[in-house]
Amino acid sequence: MSFMQPSPVKYACSCGILNPINKLFFCRHCPKLRCGFCVSHEIESNFCSNCLENIPSTEARHKKNCCANCFDCPCCHHTLSPRATAVPVVRKSEESKDKDKEGESGADSSPATPSTKPSALPTTKKMYYLSCLSCRWTTRDVGIPDQGVATGTWPDNESLYQARFNTLMEYYQSLVLQEKQEKQEFQRRKAPKHNKYPSLTDRTGLTVSLIRRQIGWSDKNLSKTKPVNITPAEASAEVDDLPADIFTQPINLRSITTISQRHSQPADQPEAVNKLYPQRRSLWIKRSLRCRQCEHNLIKPEYHPTSIKYRIQLFASYHVPEVVMVRCEQPLQPGQANAILLKFTNPTMFDMTISLLETAPQEVLQQACRIKEEAVTSSPLLKATGVTLSRQNSTREIKREVLDVANAKLVPLESPFVLSQRDDSKEFDEDVQAPSEEPKFIVWRKANKVLLRLQFTPDAELKPGQLVTLGFYMQYTYVNTVSNTQDKKDPTTHALHSRIFIESGSIGN
Amino acid sequence: MESNIKIFPKSVVCEESTLRGDITFSSGCVVHPSATIIAEAGPIIIGENCIVEEYATITHRLQPGASWDVNKILSIGGHNVFEVGCNVEASRIGDKNVFESKCYVGSGVSVSSGCVIGAGIQICMAQQLPENTIVYGQQALQREAIEKQGSQTLQIDFLRKVLPNYHHLRKPNYDPKKARSVV
Repeated sequence: MSFMQPSPVKYACSCGILNPINKLFFCRHCPKLRCGFCVSHEIESNFCSNCLENIPSTEARHKKNCCANCFDCPCCHHTLSPRATAVPVVRKSEESKDKDKEGESGADSSPATPSTKPSALPTTKKMYYLSCLSCRWTTRDVGIPDQGVATGTWPDNESLYQARFNTLMEYYQSLVLQEKQEKQEFQRRKAPKHNKYPSLTDRTGLTVSLIRRQIGWSDKNLSKTKPVNITPAEASAEVDDLPADIFTQPINLRSITTISQRHSQPADQPEAVNKLYPQRRSLWIKRSLRCRQCEHNLIKPEYHPTSIKYRIQLFASYHVPEVVMVRCEQPLQPGQANAILLKFTNPTMFDMTISLLETAPQEVLQQACRIKEEAVTSSPLLKATGVTLSRQNSTREIKREVLDVANAKLVPLESPFVLSQRDDSKEFDEDVQAPSEEPKFIVWRKANKVLLRLQFTPDAELKPGQLVTLGFYMQYTYVNTVSNTQDKKDPTTHALHSRIFIESGSIGN
Repeated sequence: MESNIKIFPKSVVCEESTLRGDITFSSGCVVHPSATIIAEAGPIIIGENCIVEEYATITHRLQPGASWDVNKILSIGGHNVFEVGCNVEASRIGDKNVFESKCYVGSGVSVSSGCVIGAGIQICMAQQLPENTIVYGQQALQREAIEKQGSQTLQIDFLRKVLPNYHHLRKPNYDPKKARSVV
């Protein structure tokens, strides 16, 4: 219903940020709502979005997170596509005449020339150039010669500062290595090795270095790799003067690059369009999300780049009842009683009992906390791998107060109501359910959906044009089919709640 | 306003196209069905080997207060491509231009040669596009191509073969050789 436009119904995540339900995740192990802000994002796989080639992470790092075969247009940042042209191949007799042309069209065109064929038939050879289908930029624009093969042979534009970058990188790599070795050395001296199995030398008090000294060898020193010296960069306040003709000649903006074009080529940031070179396309990642509290995966995509499916998908809309605002009964006026129609949908395979509350149900909160604690300590993943607890500590959940306030007074519902389970086959049933005894506020009910009428009064001091926000706690029973402990087999039922804010509209004039 | 349509030999003009006013198609032109060409203010002369695709509209629009003027000719050069759904009201069009899908070129725009008006671009202000201008992207950036766009010979040959199989054509009704012989 709120496709492609912001949803008026927002759920408060357990970290305190408001989100529509389609941006939220639900951790079944905690069990709590999570948003993109309070989960840890991990790289599942690197791939090129153009050629859909999966690239392992080490190779991706080696290639600077760029695809080896695909290029982006330096002009408009679209993908370049190779174009084939038929180039007449120069025959032996004419080769001397067209030597310069030959050199331009690539080195590998001459071996392919059938020099033994003296026929008068003009032979052609396929040559490739890269062209942008959006802005019609081609590699010929900047004088890159056409290539004999479509991919793989395009030259890298070496930046002016490449050597400098390389020496800097070398220097800092060796620096890191040195620091690491020094640290290891320090730790070895500070704390004697606690080996599980005491070795003979430990018993006798002989260490390797002692033995070496007794034999008369020098202490081996691996750690004394001196980093190569680098010359520090020098800042200068002198800037070249503007050319004199800039004040007299009209500037041709077409030969000057735009800011985004310069930024897309960060190594040299050219000022003229004839210095634009095709840029290797950046890799994309598939991302898996992990709950920071219990370390379970919330989202895990399938590995292959061509697949858009998930192996684990704990989206909130599969677990939490969805609230959709249908309409307000009357135009919104400050201090005037009004009613809003809300549609609740149960996405789970179990019946839900829902009640709308004005304040947070306290004991439920504690229970949820307890479950969470349990989840943390009893998580099989933690036990099995002994995940570093330091990482756990660093990502401890910071509770944030929900700052958004409701500015309307709700009339609480008389009783909780039941949302039936989702049953896909019921959609096709013809027979209408027998009308049963329903609370007064329920307008209609069909399968797993309920439309209810909620009465409210916007605050009296609201001014025209101000948004009226309804806020309540929705408490719902959730049947958890995964169990944290091994012995339990029955699904457990939790009473969960989430805070919901509805922007019902603005006060009329 | 009477319709006076001259079609040179070797051009393919579908009958389902909407043609109004004094229009001359030089040889080798291809006009798809449901293309619209309206000569309101004066005659339109379309050069050789132009392609006018479906739903493309070329208008020689009457300025307010003006009337039909035989001498006010909109001359469109050769090898132009008017892609699907473009709307061109330009005052002058040179050779080898490409008007991409759904673009709009307002009256008073003078398009020289080798220009490409990108898909969805709207040019409304009266201006002169220099040669080899390419207008592209959402912000309608301009750049200069190094060479003119290649001609669509293969496409024209293909259309000339295919279109008569499925559409009724307007007959070529004007032969320059014959006309000369008459004179």
